[in-house]
Amino acid sequence: MQPFEPLETPTDVNATDALAQLGDRALAERVQRDGDDTAFRALYRRHTPRLYQFTLRVLGGNEPDAEDVVQETWLRAVERLSEFRWEAELGTWLTGIALNLCRGLFRRHDRRWIAMREDLDLVAAPRQEHERIDLEAALTKLPPGYRTVVILHDVEGFTHEQIAERLQISANTSKSQLSRGRKLLRSLLGPHESEQVRV
Amino acid sequence: MHENQRNDLSEQERAEFAALARERDPGRLLEERTVLTLREQRLIGKRFRPRWYRRLPIVAAGLAAAVALFAAGLAVGQWIGTRTVAESMAAANHQTAMQAAAAVQRAGSAYVLALTALTQVADTAEGSAVAQGREAALTSLYAAVRELVLLAPDDPMAVALRQEFERMRMRGRGTADVTPVTNLVWF
Repeated sequence: MQPFEPLETPTDVNATDALAQLGDRALAERVQRDGDDTAFRALYRRHTPRLYQFTLRVLGGNEPDAEDVVQETWLRAVERLSEFRWEAELGTWLTGIALNLCRGLFRRHDRRWIAMREDLDLVAAPRQEHERIDLEAALTKLPPGYRTVVILHDVEGFTHEQIAERLQISANTSKSQLSRGRKLLRSLLGPHESEQVRV
Repeated sequence: MHENQRNDLSEQERAEFAALARERDPGRLLEERTVLTLREQRLIGKRFRPRWYRRLPIVAAGLAAAVALFAAGLAVGQWIGTRTVAESMAAANHQTAMQAAAAVQRAGSAYVLALTALTQVADTAEGSAVAQGREAALTSLYAAVRELVLLAPDDPMAVALRQEFERMRMRGRGTADVTPVTNLVWF
């Protein structure tokens, strides 16, 4: 039987707070060298809220899947910390891992998830005023391929070249996906363009 | 291009996107779950195993494979080496036998030529010198017949020649006791 290892104690809480002053690299080195879970908690707390929000948005608001992806992202990150060259931000690296995991999930449902969907009806059904939805909710209703590109470009600020590299598609496909995604998003947000922001 | 331009975000839309939340707390439960999983995998915590330790089985397997590969290479190398030496020795032996046979042929020709020459000068030359030459020729012939019997113990001609020689020599010494030459065992 494995020895019981208690979860975070009050002492650990203080230690985690103290370690929060350290930079990502110093914390990551502690995790990598000593398996310091206090350092890991500090890193986790620093990066997880953004990582979780990104993942949740890409996965269309599916919380259980987003939690699984975040956990798996940290698992892979800790395993491969020694391979990380610190040429980019740790957060960007984590986002890349999470994005790959999301792609894996999408692919499990549909291998052609990012492919151009010419058959997709880009004009959403007209909605009543009381049915108007906000941008966050509209994003969840986009097909995964469009949603991912719109989030990466319009929310996260990636260029088409960066998106193409991360999703292993061409920059032109990324541009087309974005264009069609935006169109669909506008139609989902409602017909009242004159009185409402066109998004 | 034209469609893309038409599809560009308006200032208001940009503002809407910019206003989207960038962070969300997934709750403490996920943190504990993640920490627990990492501890179970010994990536952190008291039972932490550094990367080199986690890779130990892979390294050991790699080492074992390398040793096996080296041993196999050595064995194959040795086999090839041994085979080459054996082949070389066989070739050398073959070469030596061929050379010996050629030497016998050359010596035989020289022997016959020498006897022919001796025969030609027999009438004119000194009698003792001719007798000495004849004695040498017989001694050589006897020695050759002895070797021939060793070389081919089943050859009736060789055996008969030797028996005749033995008989003549014994007669020359005044002994009637002649040991018959029988087949020799050749190892």
